[in-house]
Amino acid sequence: MAKYIVQRIIKGILSAVCVVILIMILVYSLMDRGNIFAGDSNYTKTQSNARTTYEQSRYQAFGYVDYVNYSDYITILVKRGELDEENRSAAALIGQTPEKDTEIAAEYIQKFTEEYESQGYTVVRLDADKKTNGRVKDGGQAALFATRDKPLYTRVVSYFTGMFFIDNIHYVDEGTDIGERGLTFTFYDPLYGGDKFSPAIIGNGTKHKYLFYFDGKFPYIHQNFLTLNLGESYTVNRGVDVFETMTASQGTYVLSTVSYPTGHVEQSADDLHTATYAEGSLEQSEIYAARFTDDYTNTITHKGSMSKLGYSFVIGIISTIIAYILGLPIGLLMARFKNGILDKIGTVYIVFIIAVPSLAYIFLFKAIGGSVFKLPTLFNMDSSSKLMYVLPIISLALPSVANLMKWMRRYMIDQMNSDYVKFARSGGLSETEIFTKHIWKNAAIPIVHGIPGSILFAMTGAIITERVYLVPGAGNLLTQAINKYDNGVIIGVTLFYALLTVLSIILGDILIASVDPRISFTSKGR
Amino acid sequence: MYEELKSKTGLDHKELFSQVKHSDTESEKIAAPRYSYWKSVFRVFFQNKVNIVILSLLLFVVALAYIYPAVTEYDPYANLLDSGAKHLSPGDAMEHFGVGLKWILGSGASGEPTFEAVWNGAKISISLAFICAAINMVIGVLLGAVWGFSKKVDMVMMEVYNIIGNVPMILIISVLSMLFSPSFWTMVLSLTIVGWLSIAYFIRTQVLIIRDREYNLASRCLGTSTIKIALKNILPFMTSVIVTLLATELPSYISYEVFLAYIGMGMSEMSLGRMIYAAEAAMVTPGWELEFWGPVAVVSIITIVLYVVGQNLGDASDPRTHM
Repeated sequence: MAKYIVQRIIKGILSAVCVVILIMILVYSLMDRGNIFAGDSNYTKTQSNARTTYEQSRYQAFGYVDYVNYSDYITILVKRGELDEENRSAAALIGQTPEKDTEIAAEYIQKFTEEYESQGYTVVRLDADKKTNGRVKDGGQAALFATRDKPLYTRVVSYFTGMFFIDNIHYVDEGTDIGERGLTFTFYDPLYGGDKFSPAIIGNGTKHKYLFYFDGKFPYIHQNFLTLNLGESYTVNRGVDVFETMTASQGTYVLSTVSYPTGHVEQSADDLHTATYAEGSLEQSEIYAARFTDDYTNTITHKGSMSKLGYSFVIGIISTIIAYILGLPIGLLMARFKNGILDKIGTVYIVFIIAVPSLAYIFLFKAIGGSVFKLPTLFNMDSSSKLMYVLPIISLALPSVANLMKWMRRYMIDQMNSDYVKFARSGGLSETEIFTKHIWKNAAIPIVHGIPGSILFAMTGAIITERVYLVPGAGNLLTQAINKYDNGVIIGVTLFYALLTVLSIILGDILIASVDPRISFTSKGR
Repeated sequence: MYEELKSKTGLDHKELFSQVKHSDTESEKIAAPRYSYWKSVFRVFFQNKVNIVILSLLLFVVALAYIYPAVTEYDPYANLLDSGAKHLSPGDAMEHFGVGLKWILGSGASGEPTFEAVWNGAKISISLAFICAAINMVIGVLLGAVWGFSKKVDMVMMEVYNIIGNVPMILIISVLSMLFSPSFWTMVLSLTIVGWLSIAYFIRTQVLIIRDREYNLASRCLGTSTIKIALKNILPFMTSVIVTLLATELPSYISYEVFLAYIGMGMSEMSLGRMIYAAEAAMVTPGWELEFWGPVAVVSIITIVLYVVGQNLGDASDPRTHM
């Protein structure tokens, strides 16, 4: 069994990889990349050569191209020690036309061109854009850059190699002086004043400052050695990973008394345990300088409400439980009293839910719930009322109940003509006994297969329900990402869905094999 | 001889035997009542009086959707400049424009009669459903049959199904509407480009179930070709399954179009989905509700009627109900 499951998992992961490749082809090759500038105010502000370089830098940010600006190249050379500080500004100065380059600039421009053209880049040089009076226009300065479309192969490889990030003390650039690199283990977490017992591992040179710590938030023990990167968001939630976008808390800031490493004490929402490295941030900002002693300044803030995934999961899981509690017994009774009054009403309900567009009955229930039962019809994160959960949960449970009723009735009726039922009846068992002890157990097996899937997919949220009731859940993330051309999020969310699908099928198979001894995935004679 | 006997005995011809010529072809005929499959299907279907009512309702709705827009000149922007014509209740609209059938649902955001807009939208939605269902069913059933029959094809197609099934539909639709324009035919393309796959998978499972039944094994042992087995042994068995599937597919395209329009990924034509999307704000505005509930009611009637007719036709096409 174990070997079989491992095989299935590997196969599932492979198909998830194929899904990602397919999505990458769809979003990077087929979609028109010009669309990303549709609502970009910076794009309309820039002109001339500046607009061209802006376009390129944006393409790079969205992951379409590899782009190197000449001035970045000069900075790299200085860091590498191939260019000294004295010649730096002279080398970085691009002439208005190639003929006007200084000797030293021409030399480095030549080097830049050769280096990047050999790597398959296209080197573009834009001459200064002048007005009629000979002066350079706004944004018309001469520009030099190298660009190339990211090939699919490198895109896929770098996505999957970057997916799991193992934090290490060489994360911060080796050229940067940050004192002694290393990990320190302490029993007394300095954030709690240094005298409360709370083990922690603190790193220097790592990405996260706290690699291991305890705090009062679920799940209480936290680690940052291994982090998951599903894809960085660009427009939906700038610079934040998809997984974090889904799991970070939302709503209003929750302030608490925070004492910063410098000793500064303030009411703040910062969670200092989540500090990550941001190069040079301490020097650039006085706010940081007053609070932090090192460059680990980038923190996540405490917010009062659940994450997107949290809201979707709470609503999803409750409605799933309700659906099973209602759907299975009703389906069973419909089969038990076939053609009875309950069966007829149930069938009408099933037809209604299957045939009517979901949007229509969700609005219908919203209207009824709002006017007849006076339930809140819109979700409000700041409200502590639990009543606002009622309508979304009901709307989400309605179709699942119908679906479970339909299949339960179908499976029960299919089993009713089996030989074992006839045998039980001839043995003198009452109909109720036959139904609850024999048929039900056999009919439930295909239903059991779907349970892990319905629990896992409770997390992803429902697009329409969340839109209608304004639930801040994860269901809208994909549509939002598509509308904003956030390629990183599109890929991350799809991969997440694909992995959930794979996992729920495997778990379902394991579950039915453990419920039904007749099912075995290992025997050959299946 | 016969005349002789008759005169001798005085019995008439009925009581006398006469010789019949032996015929090989006649002796092969089976003297059972004639059974015609489709005749039986419709006999069973029309036995239920409810079906007659619902079928006539379906025909009425479809006729209304196709004939009404054809005979009336519908111009959504005819009253655009008439500021007093917008968002009128049925009573006010008839007062403003005079009594007429087209004002029984009031007027919409640009002064258009909601009733006419609804039937125009219904025409687009129903057309979309029929075209998509026709394309997907034909491709899906044919490929599904091959998929179920060949083990090699099955191996490849299962992987394809696992991969493509995980690509979100809305992503495919948005990419396609970006590549082309968000028009009716782009919508058809995006609903059919992978839509056949799930139908083919369903058919594949059905074929797998009956492929290895004893009667097919016997048929194969007697030397029947695979094509004949598929057409004569399996296809008749599948008819009711296919009709039932069609009954769920047809309304599902209409519902899906409504869903897409609601999340802002619909087509540019004013289908029922687009109308519902555009009138969402009207739902909560007193006096404007009909603009929203009008199309919602019509789309629900269309989908329910299509579903019920299809399901009952599917039941009737199962030969076991023909007894």
